[in-house]
Amino acid sequence: MNTATPVLRVRDLSVSFATRQGLVRAVDGLNLDVGTKEVVGIVGESGSGKSVAMYSMLGLVRDANASISGSVAFEGREILGLSDKEMQPLRGGQVGMIFQDPMTALTPVFSVGWQIVEQIRQHSDMTKAQAKERAVELLAEVGIPDARRRVDSFPHEFSGGMRQRVVIAMALSCNPKLLIADEPTTALDVTTQAQILELMGRLRDTHGSSIVIITHDMGVIAEMADRVTVMYAGRPVESGPEVDVVRQPRHPYTWGLLGAVPRLGERNERLATIPGNVMSPLDVPEGCAFAPRCDYVMDRCVQRPPMTGDAHQHACWLDEDRRVEIRSALKEAR
Amino acid sequence: MSDEVLLRATDVVKSFQVRGGTLGQKKVSTAVNGVSLDILRGETLGIVGESGCGKSTLARCLVQLSAVSSGSIEFRGTTLTGLSRRQLRPYRHEMQLVFQDPYASLNPRRTVGDIVADPLRINKFGSSAQIEARVKQLFETVGLDPSYVRRYPHEFSGGQRQRIGIARSLGLNPSLVVADEPVSALDVSVQAQVLNLMADLQDEFQLTYLFIAHDLGVVRHVSDRVGVMYLGQLVELADADALYDEPLHPYTEALLSAVPQLNDGTEVRRERIVLSGDVPDPAERPSGCPFHPRCAYATEECRGSDPALVEIRPRRFVACHHPLNSSTSH
Repeated sequence: MNTATPVLRVRDLSVSFATRQGLVRAVDGLNLDVGTKEVVGIVGESGSGKSVAMYSMLGLVRDANASISGSVAFEGREILGLSDKEMQPLRGGQVGMIFQDPMTALTPVFSVGWQIVEQIRQHSDMTKAQAKERAVELLAEVGIPDARRRVDSFPHEFSGGMRQRVVIAMALSCNPKLLIADEPTTALDVTTQAQILELMGRLRDTHGSSIVIITHDMGVIAEMADRVTVMYAGRPVESGPEVDVVRQPRHPYTWGLLGAVPRLGERNERLATIPGNVMSPLDVPEGCAFAPRCDYVMDRCVQRPPMTGDAHQHACWLDEDRRVEIRSALKEAR
Repeated sequence: MSDEVLLRATDVVKSFQVRGGTLGQKKVSTAVNGVSLDILRGETLGIVGESGCGKSTLARCLVQLSAVSSGSIEFRGTTLTGLSRRQLRPYRHEMQLVFQDPYASLNPRRTVGDIVADPLRINKFGSSAQIEARVKQLFETVGLDPSYVRRYPHEFSGGQRQRIGIARSLGLNPSLVVADEPVSALDVSVQAQVLNLMADLQDEFQLTYLFIAHDLGVVRHVSDRVGVMYLGQLVELADADALYDEPLHPYTEALLSAVPQLNDGTEVRRERIVLSGDVPDPAERPSGCPFHPRCAYATEECRGSDPALVEIRPRRFVACHHPLNSSTSH
């Protein structure tokens, strides 16, 4: 990782929405650094604010009731609050996006080739013929068989996995420095997911793009990410190198998240659960957001814990000794 | 689990007529292609497979929600296939379903109390006071506050809705519960709660589960035996531990290797096998073994003939000309 000039540097990003029922803090104090060629994962359950965070960075949160604060620097340049015109070269150009549902990310009324050509021409001065040639190359690169013929096919003529390949080809068409993938494999079957994850890993190496991958699946994080940030109710609760977070998780929410995943390699009688539900964003307490569901809640938890630590950070008041004790007890129990 | 067969399917085929091609000619798409299996009383039989493999269609055929095209289904020794709707009635309450989408499977215009009471009313469970008491009892059984009966589905979270769906399925004391992707729409922490609830209910009411899912980790966790489907056929069926520890069908091997793993030292790393291509269209089924176009071990024999599901070792069924890890190893 090159910490000197991160491709993306996010500081204290907050996004809130004024609703009739009150203020919803969808993202609350997110920090993120993405280095060159680095894959950073953001993991959390529905409503944790992971997608809103990414959309707000690119100015895609257009709600009149939204207020966004903090700082988002892309290659050292502040991009939060840029006008649409200033943002245009970034979106789809220097920053590519891959969405969860490849059917809604593509328009059904034009051929996939037309859609890729449009994007390339928007961001470069290639002629139509050159852009089409490039589209064929891209489709071949992402593994679409018979790309020269398929370039004129429409989205409905592709399977789900092939459609996601088209979306990836489109995201890569302008050689982005940063690729934001929002649940890129959630809609896909597991063998197709394996194909797409392998493809993304390969493209990171050949194109040198940094990747931010948003997912609810700790397994995908473990396969792909160099570093990971765990979010709960809009707030980051733990972040650090993937190996450390998965092997030595520090936050009780991360323990719950990892414990709740049924593993292939073992069959145990009961899964660890996190009591209760993900809370309504209107009811997030001032103190630690996870406190109402936490087994280890203390008096101190009425205050919001800050993110502490160096490379591996966490926001929890448990002291180190107690944490190690609980974690080894949890390992016993498994 | 006993050795008593609760439900037996023999060579079940379900095909649909579909329009295809530029001129809209009719084609036959075979969603389930000759599946035979036994569900034993008290067990959880898991069925895994990717979208379009026919696992949901199979489930609908087994409980007679869809008529089979051919083959037979026996429930406790009685052949259900060919019975009229009226004749099927006495068996319906024995076989209940829990559906995938807790948003679509509950009528938004009715209270959750009514939704749970419906099967009781239809089957004339008792007086309205008895039904009301039963509904409250069911709510408690699945871990919901009985005072919620007058609320509407939109007032509940996904996990709570799935509990309501489960309560509805249990009202008439079924012996077989068919759960079609019951947790795939839920967040992982809530998913664990629902899976634990289903395990508790199975112990309490001696239920038999047919559990259909695409998530191999979930299926491993809940199942005693697991069947793997590909393109409408059962390609492997075995005890869960044996199947996961030592898959015999190349498709099972690839499927297991494709699951992203946490690598936190608790799991054996499998070598990733990335299959090429997609699952074929069930209307244009390949010759021979349905998996041969994507199989790394395919031979001339696989292109020519479709292997039958055979018990190659006690309790291990596989449909492959060249099963893995066997004496005729690669």
